[in-house]
Amino acid sequence: MTLYLLKRLAVLLASTAVAAVVVFAFMALLPGDPAEIALGVNATPEAVAALRQQFGTDRPPVAQFLDWSGGLLQGDFGTSYVTSSPIGPQIGDRLGVTAVLVLGGMAVALAVAVPLGTYAAVRHRDPLGAAISAVSQVGIAIPAFLAGILLVFVFAVQAQVLPSGGYVPFAEDPGEWLRGLLLPWASLGLVQGAVLTRYVRSAVLDVMREDYLRTARAKGRGSTGALWRHGLRNASVPVVTVLGLQLATLLIGAVVVERVFVIPGLGDLLLNGVAGRDLLLVQGVVMVLVAAVLVINFVVDVAYHLLDPRLR
Amino acid sequence: MRGRTNAGLVAGGALVGLVVLTAVASFFWTPHDPTLVDAAQKLREPGGGYPLGADKFGRDTFSQLMVGARTTLYVGVVAVGIAAVLGVPLGMIAGMTPRGWLSELIMRVNDLVFAFPALLLAVMFGAVYGAGTLTAMIAIGVATVPAFARVARAATLQVMVTDYVLAARAAGRRRPAIAVRHVLPNIGSMLIVQASVSFAIAILAEAALSFLGFGTRPPTPSWGRMLQESQELLFSTPRLALWPGLAIALAVLGFNLLGDGLRDYLDPKLRRIR
Amino acid sequence: MSDPVSTLRVEGLTVRAESLELVREVSFTIAPGERVGLIGESGSGKSLTALSLMGLLPEAVTASGTARLGDRDLVGVPENRVKDLRGRDVSMVFQEPMTALNPLMRVGAQVAEVMTLHGTPRHEARERAVAMLERVRLPEPGQVARAYPHQLSGGQRQRVMLAIALANGPGLLICDEPTTALDVTVQKQMLELIAEVAPALLFITHDLAVVASVCERVLVMYGGRVVESGPIREVFTRPRHRYTEGLLAASKLTPRGTRLPTVQGSVPSAGQFPDGCVFRNRCPHATPTCETAPALTGDGHAFACWHPAD
Repeated sequence: MTLYLLKRLAVLLASTAVAAVVVFAFMALLPGDPAEIALGVNATPEAVAALRQQFGTDRPPVAQFLDWSGGLLQGDFGTSYVTSSPIGPQIGDRLGVTAVLVLGGMAVALAVAVPLGTYAAVRHRDPLGAAISAVSQVGIAIPAFLAGILLVFVFAVQAQVLPSGGYVPFAEDPGEWLRGLLLPWASLGLVQGAVLTRYVRSAVLDVMREDYLRTARAKGRGSTGALWRHGLRNASVPVVTVLGLQLATLLIGAVVVERVFVIPGLGDLLLNGVAGRDLLLVQGVVMVLVAAVLVINFVVDVAYHLLDPRLR
Repeated sequence: MRGRTNAGLVAGGALVGLVVLTAVASFFWTPHDPTLVDAAQKLREPGGGYPLGADKFGRDTFSQLMVGARTTLYVGVVAVGIAAVLGVPLGMIAGMTPRGWLSELIMRVNDLVFAFPALLLAVMFGAVYGAGTLTAMIAIGVATVPAFARVARAATLQVMVTDYVLAARAAGRRRPAIAVRHVLPNIGSMLIVQASVSFAIAILAEAALSFLGFGTRPPTPSWGRMLQESQELLFSTPRLALWPGLAIALAVLGFNLLGDGLRDYLDPKLRRIR
Repeated sequence: MSDPVSTLRVEGLTVRAESLELVREVSFTIAPGERVGLIGESGSGKSLTALSLMGLLPEAVTASGTARLGDRDLVGVPENRVKDLRGRDVSMVFQEPMTALNPLMRVGAQVAEVMTLHGTPRHEARERAVAMLERVRLPEPGQVARAYPHQLSGGQRQRVMLAIALANGPGLLICDEPTTALDVTVQKQMLELIAEVAPALLFITHDLAVVASVCERVLVMYGGRVVESGPIREVFTRPRHRYTEGLLAASKLTPRGTRLPTVQGSVPSAGQFPDGCVFRNRCPHATPTCETAPALTGDGHAFACWHPAD
């Protein structure tokens, strides 16, 4: 297990490093010189050269990359060419907001999917079980931002019980913070919950056919008890894999949902960066998002190995 | 059980067929020019030649929906095409030489690309080359390559141990010949299923990108952008969000049902178990 | 612990899937300490007979008739009561040891579970689990208890299943082809172990040699009915029912060059058996008389045949 952990950790570090190269190389392709853009068309060549030197963009790309990636290791994302403010703290602030959004969405998805998926599997012959399957199929077809718009329409426009957007920091007013996040959480969580319900259902269905459930019943358990004690943990093994993929999907979904609800998260920062042609900011946010996806995959792989003794 | 399988397939096929028909029809006829700005028709209620009303620029919603179907299919076909053309050969190579360095390299690169979701790629492409339908399609396509490569590899691994491939190899047939004659036809059904599922994901991605302003550019109609334009009017004219939302959901539902239905239909093993 | 002198009495056991009769009017008894074999081809209803005694029939399959172990009813009892009997009064070892254990749970915990389920305190159950593993002759029982199923061989896993089955000292042990999935060398040891430790045994198999080595009495099933029963020695040396006769002939080693004797035709699928004697469409001795079902008659060695072999 330790060996596996070390190997997997090495893979994580290596892929993060390669991802950093890819992100940097990609953004280096961006047409236009940041110094020229910053100074406008009427700048003198001398002023541009001076600014270029200040930005460090006059140096060879390899040196620039080492500089940037070296900074990343210390949490320094550089200073924006456009706003002249350090990027790291901005990303830090926004990351917290996005993380709360994603984890809340995941919690909603799990709260929906585990009971419904299990029920749909156990009662797969009942009308209600079949109905859950059908509804989840429809849920998958609704993108998170559309779910967001629908929820705003119902709860903000019609019922007027929740705000249609905006974000109040927790420290300012915990109640408003919660009210502001309920709809974003629901939009992310309900859609992913629909996807997850199908996986939970099929995992539980698979487990229900396993011989060890019959063994558990032969020991004197009822069928519910057998499923509870022996089935759910076994069913969780394939579901955890999907959960990892979903966290990554949620992270990206959050980018869009932040737009719908005007929440100042990483997605908002990224899109503003692109709009303002803030190269270094975009580079930093993309790197953080990609690293987050890689870390999620790492955690899922490790969890998978912890859950299943056959893989240890 | 057989009947239920077919019901999904039929419903999926019908929905996909509806989208395709609408897209084809839009080449020949739409009630109005979908891009025609007409201040006199601003936020016009449904009726009288405007079956679903008009938006804030006076453009006919129904005509925009019809042409939007065309955009959706166009993006889906190109993106899935890119993904299949790149992903399938790579996956087959990885599956036919499972222990080779090339296979290892392909799968590692695959994992790396997997860490760049379609939306992120599209934003990056958009930042570099400018946002538009083309960059969106390429981004979605590239991001979908790993899915095809994985399915192709897994299916190829299964086919490679079957008796007919072993026989062909024993008879001295070369790898490319085996790939074309035996592997491809036998993994075809899995790939068709994957294509259908990927198509649904591509539609979702295009809608999200257009919603964010990184997809289809105005004035070309797109369901995702229709939603984005309607968001500020949600309090006064919610129907403007309803129709494109419904269109996206039905199209995605259609391709998902079609994929599931095809999976059950093409794979008798699965059909028996489910 | 169940009453040590509890006899299993099965009377008129019938198993149905909707309108289809899969097992019909099966009756037999097993006295304490007795080892009874139940043989037949697949589809003869032998496994369903066993599962109905455990209350483990699949969904939509129901059993009627009576089965009593001592004074406890096994058939026709609601699930919430019959589940208290499973693993305590009646236990079962299944055919496939590779999949019968929970892959995510340590072996010792799986043995202890059957005891805690029926009221043994947790710490005591843990200790007794190791003792049970020793009783089924697993070397290093303490180590085995800490292992996960995938770390054990098929034979070892089947011993673990046997330890689970015996943990609460049941009055009856049911084994459904317990050695079919094992290597031949492991098979023999396993059979000896089962014969030694079973309180009273119902042993299901299609392998006549296995029955002969483990059991004292045998029930032959065909088409969901018991067609012949009696002491092994008598039934195997002097079969009376024509099906048993065919089965025995087919299992005998034949010299090279002679035609391999088989029972002609093949087993019909459920619901396709003829009226009257279920074997008459494959029986070389069938006459119009066989259109009426023969009763299982005889004392000790009984058979249901109008034209028995001598």
